[in-house]
Amino acid sequence: MAVILVVEDDFFIREVAEMMILGWGHEILSACDVPEALAHLRSEQHIDALFTDVYLKREVHGGADVARQGMLLRPELRVLYTTANRVTDALHALFAAGTRFLPKPYTEDQLGLSVQNLLIA
Amino acid sequence: MPDNVVSDIAASEIVETVPSALIILDRNLNISSANRAFYQTFRTSPGETEGCLIYDLGNRQWDIPALRTLLESVIPHRASVEGFEVEHDFPTIGRRTMLVNARKIFRPGDHDGFILLAIEDVSEERAARKESNRNWQLTQSIVDTIRDPLVVLEDDMTVVTASKAFLTIFGITQAEAHGRRVSELGQHQWDVPALRHLMEKVLPENKPIESFEIEDDFPGLGRRVFNLSARKIAQPGNHSHRMLLVFEDITDRKQRERDALTLANEISHRIKNNLQIVVGLIAFEIKSTSAASVPGLKAMQARIGAIAQLYDLVSQSSRGGAIAVDAYLGQIAKAMSASLIGDKSGIEIRVKAEPLEIDPDRAVPFGLLVNELVTNSIKHAFPGGVGHVLLSVERVGDEIELVVADDGIGMKDKPAVLEKRGSDYVAIFVRQLSGTLTRGSTEGSGTSIRVRLPLLLVPSDGAEPLAA
Repeated sequence: MAVILVVEDDFFIREVAEMMILGWGHEILSACDVPEALAHLRSEQHIDALFTDVYLKREVHGGADVARQGMLLRPELRVLYTTANRVTDALHALFAAGTRFLPKPYTEDQLGLSVQNLLIA
Repeated sequence: MPDNVVSDIAASEIVETVPSALIILDRNLNISSANRAFYQTFRTSPGETEGCLIYDLGNRQWDIPALRTLLESVIPHRASVEGFEVEHDFPTIGRRTMLVNARKIFRPGDHDGFILLAIEDVSEERAARKESNRNWQLTQSIVDTIRDPLVVLEDDMTVVTASKAFLTIFGITQAEAHGRRVSELGQHQWDVPALRHLMEKVLPENKPIESFEIEDDFPGLGRRVFNLSARKIAQPGNHSHRMLLVFEDITDRKQRERDALTLANEISHRIKNNLQIVVGLIAFEIKSTSAASVPGLKAMQARIGAIAQLYDLVSQSSRGGAIAVDAYLGQIAKAMSASLIGDKSGIEIRVKAEPLEIDPDRAVPFGLLVNELVTNSIKHAFPGGVGHVLLSVERVGDEIELVVADDGIGMKDKPAVLEKRGSDYVAIFVRQLSGTLTRGSTEGSGTSIRVRLPLLLVPSDGAEPLAA
């Protein structure tokens, strides 16, 4: 089972995502903004994957920044982005190489499949 | 015959043949002789002319102050004068502009010599030049009146003239702009290979540039966005080697578009985040409901996802209010194909669509209808997990025909025509779109669902949709 850092600024959406991930037997770490997420990533805590919203309150592309810095700190970190924004080429350009993307709204099945593919890749 | 006699004959023949009017004056300015062109031009004869003081010729019509200046003040001090222009009202031939070349000629032993005057009537040429100048001034006035900055360019891309608006924007004078290449103007903002490539085709291929955007910082103006258009200047016979280059300042319009896009993104973000909350609420329901209810709730989540996806597709496919059906169907197929995984990964969705448009009000139910039909095919037609679903749209008379066909196992015991008051989603969407549905299916040879919808035309001016 994996340790997944969930970064989501909407409390309810984060809770539901964490509930789903816990339901599949993984462990979760939780953050609602960039500083909280980076604190986890800079810690000694083992983290297998990052599931982050791109648009975080006060930081338009905060999730993309978290992923970029996280991958510098932890080159083995697997990243799954999500966003409720329109999916455009400019948005895709923010994603680091080798990462995955799941648009909102996502269902439990879709998130489950994305997480499964993320961890086996 | 002596050589000097031969040369005199040859000289007189040449003089008679020259198209310019020639007269020879002695040192007292009396006319010794004149050539045929002179007599024809000034409608006079040798008898009225020879021996006459030039000023007395033809009732003193040659007593012109400018000519007196030439003959009495200039010629005595110079061996020759060229290009002396005289404009005068001649009683016999009217107002004329004459170009006078004068040369003092001396023969051996003759110290007084004589004066050869060559007089060319350049009245028409000067009148044409004046007319050309008037036309140029009119053109320049029109150019200056147009609010958008514009320049006229030669075929080597150098500036022939620029409008006042253009000169103001670039802070240069007409003289500074003249002869410079567009690529050298300002801070070299226009030195863009793609623009240069397009401009090189305007004249030789008569291929206008309709729209080329450049955004840059302009000294004194700040950051601006210009839309460039260029076309060959039309002239009779299509012999023009000049082009008109117009710089439309679209900074404000671009800003409004960006504001609208930001707002649309913000709205989209909020809507889809809220839909994510709804999907999450259903996920909670799934945890505590009976197993029999789970498929229905999961299908509900999938439909909410489809609505969110269609919301984006509608905003991306929109062209002036209308939705391009072919692109829209392609995107729906692409999105649905991405969800075909695991035991469904052998199913392929194809699209065959004519370039038709539908109004945005019908785009979402149309997309949801396609979503339902394709989902049904994927769910029921391929127990082996392999097959094809074809989405096609074409215009049939005054209707759009949507067909969703698969090569799966087919259905039995299904009515060919949908009940008028069917309660499933497909029936509701078909009714919402004022359409009719027919089902063709043979057990073992696939299913095809055919939906006919009234063709609604969306006028290009963005007015209300009209029924065809």
